[in-house]
Amino acid sequence: MANILSIAQSGLVAAQAGLATTSHNISNQGVTGYSRQQIIQSSVAGQNEGFGFIGNGTNVDTIKRTYDAFLGTQASAVQSTKSQLDSYYAQINQINNMIADTSSGLSPSIQDFFTAVQDLVSDPSGAASRQATLSAAQSLASRFQELDAQLDTMQDGVNQQIQGSVTNINSYAQQIAQLNNSIVKSQSTGQPPNDLLDQRDQLVAELSKESKVTVVEQDGNYNVFIGNGQPLVVGTTTYNLQTVASSSDISRLEVGYTNANGSVVTLPEAMLTGGTLGGLFEFRSQTLDATQNSLGRVAIGLASTFNAQHKLGVDLNGAAGGDFFNVAAPKVTEDAKNTGDAVISASITDVSALTASDYRLSYDGTNYTVTRLSDNTSVYSDTTFPSAAIDGVQFSQTSGTMAAGDKFVIRPTVDGAADFNVLITNTNAIAAAAPIRTTAPTANTGNASISTGTVDSSFTAATVATPVTLTYDATTDTFSGFPAALDVTVTASDGTTATYPAGTAAIPYTAGATIAFGGVQVQISGTPQNGDQFVIASNTNGTGDNRNILALGSLQTAKTLLGGTTDYNGAYSQIVNTIGNKTRELQVNSDAQDKLLTSIQTAQQSESGVNLDEEATNLIRYQQAYQASAKVMQVVSDLFDTLISIAH
Amino acid sequence: MRISTSMMYDMGVSRLTDLQSSLVKTQQQISTGKRVLTPSDDPVAAAAALGVSQAISMNDQYTVNRNNAKSALSQEESNLSSVTTLLQNIKTAVVAAGNAAYDDTQRQDLVTQLRNNYDELLAIANTKDAQGNYLFGGYQNGSAPFVQTASGVSYVGDQGQRLLQVGAARQMAVNDSGSSVFENNVTGNGRFVTAAAAGNTGTGIISAGSVADPSQLNGQTYTLDFSVDATTGAISYTYTDSSVVPLTPSAPQPFVDGQSITIGGTQFAISGTPADGDQFTVTPSTKQSVFDTLDDLITTLSQPGSGSVNQAKLANGLSAASLNIDSALNNVSAVRASVGSRLAELDDLDSAGSDLGIQYTQTLSDLQDIDATEAYSSLTQQQYTLQAAQQSFITISGLTLFNYLDT
Repeated sequence: MANILSIAQSGLVAAQAGLATTSHNISNQGVTGYSRQQIIQSSVAGQNEGFGFIGNGTNVDTIKRTYDAFLGTQASAVQSTKSQLDSYYAQINQINNMIADTSSGLSPSIQDFFTAVQDLVSDPSGAASRQATLSAAQSLASRFQELDAQLDTMQDGVNQQIQGSVTNINSYAQQIAQLNNSIVKSQSTGQPPNDLLDQRDQLVAELSKESKVTVVEQDGNYNVFIGNGQPLVVGTTTYNLQTVASSSDISRLEVGYTNANGSVVTLPEAMLTGGTLGGLFEFRSQTLDATQNSLGRVAIGLASTFNAQHKLGVDLNGAAGGDFFNVAAPKVTEDAKNTGDAVISASITDVSALTASDYRLSYDGTNYTVTRLSDNTSVYSDTTFPSAAIDGVQFSQTSGTMAAGDKFVIRPTVDGAADFNVLITNTNAIAAAAPIRTTAPTANTGNASISTGTVDSSFTAATVATPVTLTYDATTDTFSGFPAALDVTVTASDGTTATYPAGTAAIPYTAGATIAFGGVQVQISGTPQNGDQFVIASNTNGTGDNRNILALGSLQTAKTLLGGTTDYNGAYSQIVNTIGNKTRELQVNSDAQDKLLTSIQTAQQSESGVNLDEEATNLIRYQQAYQASAKVMQVVSDLFDTLISIAH
Repeated sequence: MRISTSMMYDMGVSRLTDLQSSLVKTQQQISTGKRVLTPSDDPVAAAAALGVSQAISMNDQYTVNRNNAKSALSQEESNLSSVTTLLQNIKTAVVAAGNAAYDDTQRQDLVTQLRNNYDELLAIANTKDAQGNYLFGGYQNGSAPFVQTASGVSYVGDQGQRLLQVGAARQMAVNDSGSSVFENNVTGNGRFVTAAAAGNTGTGIISAGSVADPSQLNGQTYTLDFSVDATTGAISYTYTDSSVVPLTPSAPQPFVDGQSITIGGTQFAISGTPADGDQFTVTPSTKQSVFDTLDDLITTLSQPGSGSVNQAKLANGLSAASLNIDSALNNVSAVRASVGSRLAELDDLDSAGSDLGIQYTQTLSDLQDIDATEAYSSLTQQQYTLQAAQQSFITISGLTLFNYLDT
C-alpha cells in the first residue's frame, strides 16, 4: 500500500517537474538563444514479489536542453560573415549616398566652376565675371574639402566603432570565462546547467558578430580563439584585446593583443576577418582610403593642370599668372618603430600617372623596396634609393640614412581634397590673357598670316620685352630678326623638326610650320612678299584678350587624368562607379548570407525553439498525469479507509 | 518540421520589413522620378549620368556663349552698318566734288560735311560696348584704339581677336580689330596706284589703270617724266624703274593723249596735256587707313579748283580718293559679310545645340529616370503583397492551442 502511495508520489513529482519545465519553456520562448528543455523520465526498477516484479514508480533522470552544437557553430560562422558584410555595407552606403547627390556631389561644383570660367571668356576684363569665377572656384574648393571632411569623419567613426567592437569582444570574453567557471562547477553535480550553457552559446554567437572566432570545448570549458589562433578565453582566463594607434599613422586605430606576459602585439588587419571588426577593417583599407585618395587625385589633377595653364597667362595687371589652386603635397609618415634618422619626402611629377594607392618604402639593410599597397605589389626593389619617379611620384631622401627595417608610408593624394584651396584672392590676378600678341602690319603686301601665338612653361617676359620683328626675304626665302640669344626650332606640319642654334641670322621659311623660340610658338602660313614683317610683342594692356581663360575653360573636357584617358568629371565618375559597384556587390552578398543565415537559424529553431502549441499539449499532458497520480493517491486513501472500516 | 513560435514571429516581421522597404524604395523612385537614387542602384548608369550631366551643362554653356557672341557680333554689325552708310555718303560727296561747275565755296561746303563725317567715323571706330570696352581695340580694349595725332589718326590697338567656345569643336571670333576694319584698305586699283606729282603744271590726268600682264607685275615703282620739245611742241616721256640702280630712264616715248601706256605689266592712260617736267608715278598698292584717305580727300578739296591745271589736280586727287573710298567700302563689306556669316553660323549652331540638348536630356532620362507605368504597376503589386502578408500574419499568429485552453 505504501508502495502505491510512493509510486503515485513519484508520478506527482515527475508531473510537477514536467509542468515546471513546460512553464519554463513557455516563459522563455522569446529569449534569444534559449533552447527548449524537456524532462527525461525513466521507470524505477521493480521489486520481485515472487509473482513478478512490481514497478516502483517513475524517476526524473535529468532535464535536457535540445541543442545541436554543429548547427550552433555553423550559425556563428555565417553570422560572422554576414556581420562583416553588414558593417562594410553600412559604412560604404554613407559614401554611396553622398557622392552622387546632385546637390552634394562634386560633379555639379566642377560644372559650375567651368561655367563661370566660360562666362569670363565672354567678358575677360569684367570685374563681375572675374569675381564670379573666383567665387565658383571657392565653392569648388569647399566642395572638395567638405567631401574630404565627411570621409575624415568616417575615419573617426571607424575608429570609434573599432573601439566599441573591441570593448564588446573583451566583455563577451569575460562573460564566457565566468560562465566557464560556473558551468564546470555545476556540471560537477552531474547535471547539465542548461540555461548557463544556453547563455554561453549565445555569447559565442554575439562574439561572432564582432569577429570570427574559433571555439574548442575542453572539459566543459569553452576555449575561444581569435585572429589566427590567439587565445581570447582559456578556461576561466581571458586575454584582452585593446585598440592601439597604428605605427604608420597615429590617427588610425588598430587592434592589439595582450600577451600572457602583458606585452601588446598589434594584430595585422588581414588576420582579423569576419564580424563587425573585419568589416570595418575591410571598409577602411579597401574603400575609405581608396575613395579619399581618388578624390584627392581628382583635386590634385585639377589643381595642377589648371595651375600649369594659368601660369602661361598674364593677369589684368600684365603680370604672369601665378598658382590658382593650392596643390597638396604627398603625405609621408615615418613608422614609429624606425631606428634610422632618414627624412623622406615625396613630390608629384606627373598627375596623369597617379594611382589612388598608398606606398610603403622600406629598407632591409640591403634593398630599398617600394610597395604599392592597393595591390601589395613591389614596384621597386634595388640597392639604391629610388631615383626615378614611381607612378608619377618622386621619392627623395632629404637627410639622414635609413636603417635596416625602417619603413615609411607615402600617401601621394590623401590630402589632395582637404588641401584644395584657392590661392588667388584678387580678381585682377586671374590670368585671362596670353602674354604675347602677334601683328601682321598692314604694310605687308603678301597674303601670309601669323597665328596668335602660344607660349609654354619656358617662356619669360624677357623673350618679347623688345618686340620681335620677323622680316621676310624673298630672295633667300627666309625670315630674319629672331632674338640672337635664342635657339629657333621649326616644326613642319608633317612633324619634321629643324633646330637652328642661337644667332642663326636667317631661318628658312616653311609655310604652316611652327616656329618656336624662347617658349614662344607661332605659325606663319601663306605666301609672304619680300620685306613683309610679322611682329611678336608683349601683350601689354591686353585686357580684352581671353586666350588663356579660353584655354583654361577647355581643360574641363581635356583628357588630363588617369593616364590621359579622362577628364576631371570622368575621374570623379570613376569613383562613383567603383563605390556604386562595391555597394551593390555588398548588398547582393549580404542578401545571400542573410538567406543562408535564415536557413541555418530555421534549422536551429526547428530543433531548439519553443513551440507554444507543443507546450500547451505538454501542459495538458502533465496536468493529466498529475491529476492521474493524485487519483491514485485518492484510491490508496480509499483502500486505506476500506481496510480501517474492516478493522472497526 | 517543427516550427518555433518565436521564429514564426521573426520571419513574419522580417518579411514585412522587406516588403515595406521595397515599397518605400518604389515610392521614393516615383516621388523623385528617378530610378537611380544612389550609385549602387545602377553603378554604370550613375557614372554615365555624371558624364551626360556635364555634357548638358556644357551644351547649355555653349548656348550662353553663342548668345554672348551674337550680342557682340550684332553690335559690331550695327556699327559697321553705320560705317557703310557714312562711306557711301562720302562717296556721294566725292562724286559731287567732281562736278566741274562747282566753285571753291561749294567745295568748301563739302569739306565741312566731310570733316563731320570724319569725326563721326572716328567716334564709331572708338565705340564702346555695354561693358565699357572698346569694340575695335583688339586685345587692348581698355583704351581708345584710334587716337588723333599731328599726322592724322593712328591705330594704337592690336590685331587680337577674342574667341568664344560656341560649340564643342568651334571657337568663333567675336570681334574684329580696328586694323582689319579701318586700316585694311588697299589703295589704287588693288594692285598699283597711279598718281600725278603735286608740282605738275600741265593738265595731265592719269587713269586708275589696270593689270595688263600679271606675270610682269613685280612690285616695282615707275616714274614717268614728261618733256615738251621746245621747238616742235611734241610731248614725250621717259619711264624709270626706281628699283634698278643706277636709275636708267627708258628711251623717250611719244605721248598720245588718252592712249594707254603699258609698263611692267601695268596699263593706264594719261589724258590732257602734261607740261614739261611733269611727273607721274606708278607704285604698288599698299594698305591705307580710311582716315588717311579722308585726310587726303579733304586736302584735295581744300585746294583752289579754278583753272584747267587746278582742275586736273582735283581730278587726279578725286580719282585716287574715289578708288580708296571704294576700297574702304569693299573692306567694310567684307568684314560685314564675315560677321554676317558668323551670325548665320551661330543660328545653325543654336539649332544643332538644341537638338543635342534634347538628345542629352533623353539619354540622361533613359539612364536615371523611372518608367512611370512600370513603377506604378510594381507599387500596386508590392502594396497587394504587403497587405496579403499582413493579413496572413494576423491569421497565423492568432492560431494557438491556448485559445482553447480556457476553463
